[in-house]
Amino acid sequence: MALSKIDVANMVTGATPVANGGTGQTTLAAAGLGKRPNKSPLIINGDMAVAQRATSATGKTTGAIYTVDRMKLLLDAQGTYTVAQESLTSGNAFANGFANAWRVDCTTADASPGASDQLGLQYTFEGQDLQVFKKGTANAEKFTLAFWVKSNKTGTGNIQLKDKDNSNRQCTQSYTISSADTWEHKVCVFGADTTGAFGDDNAKSLIINWYLGSGTDSSSGTANHGTWEAQDQTKVNDGGTLNINDNTNNDWAITGIQLEVGEFTSSTLPPFQHESFGDNLARCQRYFQNLAEGTEKPFANGFFWEAQEFMAHAGLNAIMRAEPTLEYVTGSNYYSILRNGGTDQLDALVISGSSSRSYIRYHLASGQGVASDTKNRPGQLMTANASSRIGVTAEL
Amino acid sequence: MSLTKKYEDCEIKYISTSIKTNDAIQIKYPLVNGKRLMKCIPNGATDNSDYQEILAWVAEGNTIVEAD
Repeated sequence: MALSKIDVANMVTGATPVANGGTGQTTLAAAGLGKRPNKSPLIINGDMAVAQRATSATGKTTGAIYTVDRMKLLLDAQGTYTVAQESLTSGNAFANGFANAWRVDCTTADASPGASDQLGLQYTFEGQDLQVFKKGTANAEKFTLAFWVKSNKTGTGNIQLKDKDNSNRQCTQSYTISSADTWEHKVCVFGADTTGAFGDDNAKSLIINWYLGSGTDSSSGTANHGTWEAQDQTKVNDGGTLNINDNTNNDWAITGIQLEVGEFTSSTLPPFQHESFGDNLARCQRYFQNLAEGTEKPFANGFFWEAQEFMAHAGLNAIMRAEPTLEYVTGSNYYSILRNGGTDQLDALVISGSSSRSYIRYHLASGQGVASDTKNRPGQLMTANASSRIGVTAEL
Repeated sequence: MSLTKKYEDCEIKYISTSIKTNDAIQIKYPLVNGKRLMKCIPNGATDNSDYQEILAWVAEGNTIVEAD
């Protein structure tokens, strides 16, 4: 096309030339792209592709991240569940580019939950990743949360945004599942909050809770959807009817979670920002890294500082949010030090306080099973059982 | 759920090394089918949420077992 053919006037005003006279959209705003200052999606692993810990976990009665990275089961004394990374091969979510979902299945029902019981999904943010919302200023932005959801139950689900930096201020919103066992796309708008800024740091500033069931402590109030207000737990699941806890036939699954700055509808929502698996994994590793799993997997090299004292160092794949916790599965002789033509069998591992966000330092002695060896000899820490599993976590 | 309830079946204990007394805090979960979950938390890692939770657990009136 010659330069003289470009319709500059229409481009500026937002009119819609496609090629030389169609009906397309020419401004970012008109295309639903007016407010996306973030380079990467604000929700990490919103497509549920990364599951470093496991793809399925059964018999869960307490809350934790069990499978899909960053996605925490919120559970307090309300039944027993299987949590899984579900592979999708059909349905509307799959047809829109999502091959995985976070799924919870009720395996022991609790149809009469105690007042303080609760069940849901929880996602947390660092405050430094949320400054774009300008919360606590006159220019505060609305929050638009979109996701794909599917359940055997129809009914109303509730979502809470919880501001951990400002006395747990909250904003709730609801959505409706209209058809059982069918992937549906939901877009929920939460108000702007001119009160209380998010801390510009690596601490927990915002929690998103999707409530799937609760006792009366979370449902006896009257919700004030879309408006920020002081903490009131009684409002967070007001009118919620999903109650995934009430029958072992129940399940609930979610994928394609995206949080956008500003207000959008289903027709103006910017497209989901898909990342490569590698980019997604790298962002997840700020919070959790799987270091070794299975038999005879080396995970650190070191030396005998003293005859019965072994030190080893291991660099981490990404700088973590905080100095991490070493988390491992152990039993009899699940780990070993390979050294000097033999091995020392270990049941326990210890990391030193001189570890950091970018490396960990193991410091093992006779109490962990280190046997005599010559000072200054090298050695290698290895897994020694098919069930051995070791990782580091710096979750919020 | 209170943290006291959450950790009621766990042993929470300091670990000392030759370099530092109470260098780390170890959480030993119950043995299930011959294996257990263990956590080792750097003592004094103020940004670590596990460390923060142990401090809150202590604030509920619990005590970390002294190192061997």
